[in-house]
Amino acid sequence: MAVTVTVRIDPTRCRGHAICALFFADGVELDQWGFGRVVVDSVDSARSVRKVRRAAAACPNGAFLVSERATPEPRPVGAG
Amino acid sequence: MTVTPDLAAAVTPSTDRPVAPVRIGALGGDGALVLSGPAASAGSEELRGHRSRWGELPPYDGVRIRALLRDSRLDGRGGAGFPLGRKVETARLTPGRPVLIVNASESEPESRKDRVLCRHRPHLVLDGAALLARSLGVDEVVLHAHRSARSPIGALSLAVVERVRAGEPDPTWRLSEGPDRYVAGESSAVASFVDHGEGRPRFATRPLAVVGPSGRPTVVANVETLTQLSVAARIGAVAWNALGAPSSPGPRLVTLAGAVPHPGQVLELTGPGTIGDLLAAGGMTNPPAAVLVGGFAGTWVRGDEAWQTPFTRESLHCVGASPGCGLLGVLPHDACPLGETARIVRYLAGESAGQCGSCVAGLPRLADGLEALAAGTARRRSVGKLSALADAVLGSGACAHPDGVVRLVRSTLGVFGDDVVRHLAGGPCRGSDHPPVLAVPDPRTSPATDGAAWR
Repeated sequence: MAVTVTVRIDPTRCRGHAICALFFADGVELDQWGFGRVVVDSVDSARSVRKVRRAAAACPNGAFLVSERATPEPRPVGAG
Repeated sequence: MTVTPDLAAAVTPSTDRPVAPVRIGALGGDGALVLSGPAASAGSEELRGHRSRWGELPPYDGVRIRALLRDSRLDGRGGAGFPLGRKVETARLTPGRPVLIVNASESEPESRKDRVLCRHRPHLVLDGAALLARSLGVDEVVLHAHRSARSPIGALSLAVVERVRAGEPDPTWRLSEGPDRYVAGESSAVASFVDHGEGRPRFATRPLAVVGPSGRPTVVANVETLTQLSVAARIGAVAWNALGAPSSPGPRLVTLAGAVPHPGQVLELTGPGTIGDLLAAGGMTNPPAAVLVGGFAGTWVRGDEAWQTPFTRESLHCVGASPGCGLLGVLPHDACPLGETARIVRYLAGESAGQCGSCVAGLPRLADGLEALAAGTARRRSVGKLSALADAVLGSGACAHPDGVVRLVRSTLGVFGDDVVRHLAGGPCRGSDHPPVLAVPDPRTSPATDGAAWR
């Protein structure tokens, strides 16, 4: 079953290490002080899901938050 | 498809609704409903007097009170304007016993309306809280204020004692006093303090009404909002709603500040009265240079424009403002708008909770930029930098504190564009010698990042 991952950065925990932007470069922008801001807040492709999971695991402050939920499989056309 | 007559009526523009005539009244004066009753000199209205004027607390059950919240469309009066009925419905849809907190913090340094209600009409406030408790099915209400000389908690506790002695069918009242800091009055900060004793705003992905710091649905309601609820319960949802304007339900309390004859005066507005009507009721005869609408984290509006603008959500929106906490800060023609704003921004920068990086780093730079503009030492390109800085700070925090500062800075650059150009060309203006107009507290030199400062 596919998953959809919602991404958020907790600004109260972010210390600007910018590691999330290394792993998830297409979804995080850094401001002028290096604090991350999520610009793509929901991903579902396997490639992107891998990236955001790595980013979450790598953040030293636990500021990069992901919540995963199963995406229902589309029903085959013509079924039922 | 044919439209039934009922549906046609429902989609008719709201301007066809009846609009109450404009009335403005002060505490105990003519033209007041919420503020009607004894004059300010009479002090706190006692329970007996309150009951003889307003009657007993209506014996409505939760269903009826929720219908009242829905039909009145009562909007929050603490600043954000969120409909109270929506908070209640959300909390009720979530499993768990809700936490109910009355927010009497009134962090806004120049706002007085909530304190006036607590000090002079405490039973109207507590009646509203008792009704809201019933609508949520809770039997305990927390009354929370800042720990300061201006705290209204003493007035509320005296009123609580009176009610307990009188055997009122009330919920259990619990008093709470938190840190005297600007952002400690924000609803998630208040909920955090009540839960675990540290009053800082909290990062959350779900609203408080779904899950608060305690894990339970949490409803934080402003003092004026509850007061309006108890008035609406007495006169009926539709009648109460019609005392406002189509976009702004019900009567509305406003505090006048700055260059007005009586700074700190609280007025009650009924109907779609303009800011000019309110300032005239406060003793002014001509439009000022500008009006700061909605609080320190509000919006400047040019005086002649403000004078004609109805103090309703819709009309204020058209000039980029919102009612906020109901503050009208009046700037006279001989003061420097950039200097005034710089003092406010410096104060707000020091009031950061020190949690979010862009707020800690960005707000002092915004204050630097405005101070340089006011002093006439800024260069032309620094205005663009200031704008870019504001863009970077916007939306970066766990709470709306940085966003409020950005709103103020952007409105300053927009409304006082001519002043900015003059300061860039010719240094400080004549207004730089003017004594401070708005009573801005002394700024803290650095935000309190230590948790102990928030207990």
